[in-house]
Amino acid sequence: MIERYNRRQRALVITLVIICVLLVTVYSREDKEGFLHRLQRFSMDVVSPLQKGMSKVLSPVKEGIEFLVDLGRARGERDRLREELKDLEERVHELEEMRRENETLKQMVAVKEANPELDYLVVEVIGANPDAWEQTVQIGAGYSDGLREYMAVLSEDGSLVGRIILCTSETSVVQLITDEKSAVGAKLQRNGEMGVLKGDGGGKTHLELLNQDADVQTGDVVITSGMGGTCPAGIPIGVVTEIGEMQADLSIGVFIQPRASMTRLEKVLVVVNPLPATLPMAAEGRN
Amino acid sequence: MTMFAAHRRLLLLTVITLTLLVQLTVAPELSVGSVRPDILLVATVCWALFHGPGRGTVFGFFGGLVEDIFSTAVLGVGAFGKTIIGYFAGELKHRVVSRSVAWPMCIVFVATVLHELLKFATWTMVGLEERPPFSFGIIAGMALYNALLTLVVYPILARVAASEEKAMLFQ
Repeated sequence: MIERYNRRQRALVITLVIICVLLVTVYSREDKEGFLHRLQRFSMDVVSPLQKGMSKVLSPVKEGIEFLVDLGRARGERDRLREELKDLEERVHELEEMRRENETLKQMVAVKEANPELDYLVVEVIGANPDAWEQTVQIGAGYSDGLREYMAVLSEDGSLVGRIILCTSETSVVQLITDEKSAVGAKLQRNGEMGVLKGDGGGKTHLELLNQDADVQTGDVVITSGMGGTCPAGIPIGVVTEIGEMQADLSIGVFIQPRASMTRLEKVLVVVNPLPATLPMAAEGRN
Repeated sequence: MTMFAAHRRLLLLTVITLTLLVQLTVAPELSVGSVRPDILLVATVCWALFHGPGRGTVFGFFGGLVEDIFSTAVLGVGAFGKTIIGYFAGELKHRVVSRSVAWPMCIVFVATVLHELLKFATWTMVGLEERPPFSFGIIAGMALYNALLTLVVYPILARVAASEEKAMLFQ
């Protein structure tokens, strides 16, 4: 009995499978206007209004499912974007650093073009003097790089920063023009009145003019005079910001704001040619 | 034809019609990306698990056939796959003794994978040129989705089977 039942079921499956194969064969061989194709088109026309209606009714459910799926994706996306943001921030910092370096190099090229008779060596500033009374910085080149004591040191934009006062084989110490012991031969660019630029140890400088009756005005540009033999002539130093009253020694205080920013030095230009001719004016005081 | 046989046929017709309606109207709205549930396949497997290979085969054949008629697919391919799945799922009726819904879920998962492979094999055999690209990811997604839908379909068809048994007892 059971065997007969099983045989009947197998026969049924085989029959239905054969019908399916026949249907597939007929459908594949007939053209688009064949009976089975037309039957499909008719059925789809019948059911399409139902599908449209159901689509409207179920759209909130669909949106809910999509929201849940999106939520899962959003978490992964968030983590990926965070990583990407981190990478991009690093890239922006790198590019900013490169831009600044590019600006510096452009300024240095301009300085070289403005003074073609001078030869420079670009050196990195590697440290500042921790002693508050000494306005000096340390640079990353020394004797082995061709540097010598009393060589003039300029900022990236070609303004006077100071001069080398100590050289080792790999590093050098630069005395800034704001150092109290610094003295540089200077003159007013407008009328050539000569004087000596001295530091006051507090980040400022003042000019001691040789001629007490000299015509000096605020805004006058001060440049190196070349006197003393350490600094080549014509290097910009700064501008006159204040003119004080005459002192007991008949000198007048002419305060100069240095053009170079002494606290933001990263790279400097050392004038390696021509070599300093004589000792600086205040060199003996230091030694 | 006895009253009971007529009742059974009417019930089969009703279940197939309702499932087809849900498949045609609800399933497209529940699709996630390229993964669309095959509610008719889930119903075929569940029906076969309740009623055995004979009725499973008939359900699969007619369910697949009407689905093919109401779609743009090659007519007969869906019917072919569901007939075979209906028969083999029905064969498991007496082999699965657990009442847990986990078993039907697993069977639906495997049946979906086999059904889709059968579909691709048939398309290849008839030389269908415009067949979709084979993606095991989509098939796995469908299998998972169908397995989850079993949680809904299986209890409904269990009630239908119980009511039919009750009707048989009254007769």
